[in-house]
Amino acid sequence: MASLRPLLKSEDWMSLWIGLLIFALSLGLLVGVDILGWAVKTNVWVTVGQALQPVSEGYSGLGGGPSLVFTFVFLLVLMTAAARGLEANIPRFMLGFTVIFLVSYVCWFLGHYAYIAATPDKLEALGIGWSMNLTGEAGYILALLAGLVVGNFFPKTAERIAEGTKPELFIKIAIVVMGLGLGVKAVDALDLASAVIFRGLCAIVEAYLIYWAVVYFVARKYFKFSKEWAAPLASGISICGVSAAIATGGAIRARPIIPIMVSSLVVVFAVVELVVLPFAAKTFLYHEPMVAGAWMGLAVKTDGAAVAAGAITDALIRAKAMDALGVEWVEGWILMATTTVKVFIDVFIGVWAFILAILWVTVIDRKPGEKVRMVEIWERFPKFVLGYILTFVATLTFCIMVPDLLEAVKAASSEANVFRQLFFAMTFFAIGVVSNFRKLWEEGIGRLAAVYVICLFGFIIWVGLVISWIFFHGITPPVVAG
Amino acid sequence: MTEQEKPRLAEEMEEMEYEPLLPVEKKLIIWSITLGVVLLGVLTWVSYTFFPVP
Repeated sequence: MASLRPLLKSEDWMSLWIGLLIFALSLGLLVGVDILGWAVKTNVWVTVGQALQPVSEGYSGLGGGPSLVFTFVFLLVLMTAAARGLEANIPRFMLGFTVIFLVSYVCWFLGHYAYIAATPDKLEALGIGWSMNLTGEAGYILALLAGLVVGNFFPKTAERIAEGTKPELFIKIAIVVMGLGLGVKAVDALDLASAVIFRGLCAIVEAYLIYWAVVYFVARKYFKFSKEWAAPLASGISICGVSAAIATGGAIRARPIIPIMVSSLVVVFAVVELVVLPFAAKTFLYHEPMVAGAWMGLAVKTDGAAVAAGAITDALIRAKAMDALGVEWVEGWILMATTTVKVFIDVFIGVWAFILAILWVTVIDRKPGEKVRMVEIWERFPKFVLGYILTFVATLTFCIMVPDLLEAVKAASSEANVFRQLFFAMTFFAIGVVSNFRKLWEEGIGRLAAVYVICLFGFIIWVGLVISWIFFHGITPPVVAG
Repeated sequence: MTEQEKPRLAEEMEEMEYEPLLPVEKKLIIWSITLGVVLLGVLTWVSYTFFPVP
């Protein structure tokens, strides 16, 4: 039993189990059992009555309100069980999660208001003459803003719900669940999917080799950071924020305080990127959607913010393309580009940390008797990625081998997608709550932030754009049939 | 760790000692960027040859 403990006591493993559970339950449809059909689906609405309904026709008699209650209770029970495994304070977790769910859902619901969300093709059906054309994903932005208000202006409330504020856990669960949806999409365009996956891998090889070296050089040469600071900083800014900074800190034996400080900086700047870059992509890259998607994966740090930025970019660009180009692209492909890039980045964090550890021990900071173990690659491997790969490959393989059940898998994907969207919304809110700009400013952010701003906005964003352009230009998602 | 005992970022920055960029670090940076640029060419060719845009 003791050997099973690590499989339940880390957020990484826990996200994998929860994601796989939702995946498995949704697949009940393959044997004719609709287990998750009661989950609440949120529609674009003009009157409140239009907004909520159960995702499955089979549960249409249930009504929107009860469907929302069932969804909340299901998630509360599931997440409380997870919190128990993670040895959280259960009453505080339940309180925190309840607040996070409710606020996030209200934002998600408001984001679906027709005047905010409706795309041009839906205006007539909804009986309205205009809208902001932001799609329902506007709810994510509202959730982020609400989180920022709580995190920065109501610190006591943020502290009270802190036990349930787990943006990385939420986004990792969502990513595992997302493998199902992307697997279904890939069946219809296998060549495109393989091109996106391979090019995503190429893009991150470039990002690691070029980004890291330049940021490390700038931090050491021009900002006079010590090696102990420069390495985690380079990983945090250039690769994948929090996890990379922590892995690098461990690899070079930096004091724990350094990656923690770098991480808090990364989280705050990721919010700025999350708010700015999707809208920049919508304005300048709507004719190159996959470039935009990959760009979010390369430029926006932390898993949560990057995949969240991909989701918003997906929605904004599809809406813009419908308006400006008269073409309706299939949902999810732009997000797939983001996720592919991000997942590969995560996969390579362990390898990169291992390489750095070897370099530090052997040439940069030689200390007698220190050795690097191969097992450290596995220890640093993000386990939730296994869940994403499993759900994606299993779905793709199953759909290819049993095409007769493709429609059932699509229905299962719709049901799982409800939970994916809710975890996304909670991620946005939680990211806002943990992004305490004021506290960071009070701690003396100056020099650290200067490296970050110069490298991120002067270099990383643009090199990321060039790399994304090289590997993804000219690729567009499939067009919606009919 | 109490609030007073927590190291502040500003203090950490002030206490950081200057370490000049070592030749071995310069070499690693140059190698990394060179490898990145060379691989950019190789991977672009592989992508467009074996994984063309459908």
